Amino acid sequence: MAIAKFSWNQNQQKAILSRNNENACKLNDEILISNIRWFIIFRWGVIGALILIHIFALITPDTLIQFRIIEENNWPLTITLILSLANLGYRYALDYCKPGKFNSPTINLWTQIVVDLICLSVVVHFIGSTATPAPFFYILHIALACIFFSTLESLLVAVIVSIMYTIVLLAEYTLSIQIPQSILIDPALMSDSKIKNHLLFWMTALNILFFTVWYVVSRLSLVVRAHENRLTEAYQQINQAQQEKDQYAVLMTHQLKSPLDAIRSKINLIKGGYCGEVTPEIDEIVRKIDQRAANMASLILDLLRLQRLKETCSCMAEIKPVKISRALQKCLEKLTPVINTKSIILNVSIDDFIYKGIRDQIEILLENIISNAVTYSHHNGIVEITSRVDANTRTATITITDHGIGIDPEDLPNIFNEYFYSPRAALHNNATSGLGLSIVKIAAQNNKLNINVASEPGKGTAFTILFPAVQLPAIIEEEYGRGSAPIGRPLAE
Amino acid sequence: MTKKIAHVDDDADIRDAVARILRKKGYEVTQYLTMRDFIASLETDAEHPDLAILDVMVESMDAGLTAYAEIHARHPRIQTIFLTSLGDMIRPYFDKTSNEWVCVMEKPVEPDSLLGVIEDRLNYTAAQ
Repeated sequence: MAIAKFSWNQNQQKAILSRNNENACKLNDEILISNIRWFIIFRWGVIGALILIHIFALITPDTLIQFRIIEENNWPLTITLILSLANLGYRYALDYCKPGKFNSPTINLWTQIVVDLICLSVVVHFIGSTATPAPFFYILHIALACIFFSTLESLLVAVIVSIMYTIVLLAEYTLSIQIPQSILIDPALMSDSKIKNHLLFWMTALNILFFTVWYVVSRLSLVVRAHENRLTEAYQQINQAQQEKDQYAVLMTHQLKSPLDAIRSKINLIKGGYCGEVTPEIDEIVRKIDQRAANMASLILDLLRLQRLKETCSCMAEIKPVKISRALQKCLEKLTPVINTKSIILNVSIDDFIYKGIRDQIEILLENIISNAVTYSHHNGIVEITSRVDANTRTATITITDHGIGIDPEDLPNIFNEYFYSPRAALHNNATSGLGLSIVKIAAQNNKLNINVASEPGKGTAFTILFPAVQLPAIIEEEYGRGSAPIGRPLAE
Repeated sequence: MTKKIAHVDDDADIRDAVARILRKKGYEVTQYLTMRDFIASLETDAEHPDLAILDVMVESMDAGLTAYAEIHARHPRIQTIFLTSLGDMIRPYFDKTSNEWVCVMEKPVEPDSLLGVIEDRLNYTAAQ
């Protein structure tokens, strides 16, 4: 005996999602690599500035000595050399070395930050740890660490910065540290304790600043990363939901249409004489059954088509150049049976053009409008299809005109509504699903087309489709060589 | 020589309709409920059909397409015709799988159309 256990506990799924969120607070390798490249380029900028300082020093050394920017040691040159070599090293490790245990984006970034901090500490030592703004450059590295690394790792960087700055301070005031705390009897020692207080003040103040900056920037960074992750997740969920929705629609259509297809297949057996002779009365009834079943089938397919069109947003569908003459030819081929059944005469006059849109949707739009023109014409009626291009404004129009039953003025505003059909239309065509023009509406929306409708009851209707930005025939011929329809010549009759 | 045609569809009425049409025309018809049964028969039976009529959505959304890929790879001589309820709505599913020309017919089964396409496909094999 087989046993299967089922559980639809939604809480479990939510727990899995929130766990994933926490891990996602670190940046992934791809983003780290792009940050590394930016950091390397930024450092080249700093190296450039150092070279400028060095040139300035050669020209006017006194100014720089006055500002204590350089002294006897030629630190700009040394630091420039170290930073340049290091930068080249980082680049080499990133692009030319195989990734491994000792060569990963995280290690690369850590190396950069540590080397930078050492160099900065050397600069601060020579310029002055309290008298100049040099120490504030440490804050830049703390901020960068908050952006690149996780909260704990950026805290480690803040601690390293604090230690390095403290070492620099101590190196500068070595004498005052070596004196143990004792009663100050000798007045000469007064200045040392002043220096010591000065040292303590700066150490405390800047350490508070370092850790405050770490706290603020790391919090901000977490918030931004969490938002980004939530957006990415939401986007993925939407995509998945869209796919599932389409699959569901296809499945539903199939489930609804299959029984109808079975019924109609059996009817075809009767009609084809596979079940023996049938009386004329039975034959008539069978044909009516078949007609109603056919209408239902086409309604179901229209529903799926409409659903699919509504799902498509223009950002996701493939926008390609569509040659209008070819699209019209395809529609007319598809509609040939209906055209022949009613012996409709087609007058076609095309200025060919190319429009950038969703090919399938433009074809269904044209097909539905032409199909309506044929359906609502009388027997042996005329349907005109004309297209005109305005070379100056680079716009085009296609007009489909019939001389059939027309549309009442009070019905005209509603013709694009779903499931709408006027009583007059229903009388003429009892197979109408009311969806044909709603499909046209969605296709027009997705392709940024406008439609004008002019109609007079008993005289006919003209649908004009407005194309806003088209490519002209001369350009078509250049790009496509041959194959465009000559202006004015009928496409098909 | 009598041509053999295999037909896979989980709908009993469709199977009955196709069987009647094909047998009246003189074809030998073998029918299967699932793709798995059909593919298993290809492994065990000595004689293979000349043509297979496959329902696209039997067992699952794309069972027909997956089976086609397998059949075409192992037995390229067997011609295939797809039957689907979905008409050209099925196109997105086909576009991704194959660049080859694939014959797809929309249900319901129309005797004359079906027989015409079968004859065409069998003549194509003969010509090859």
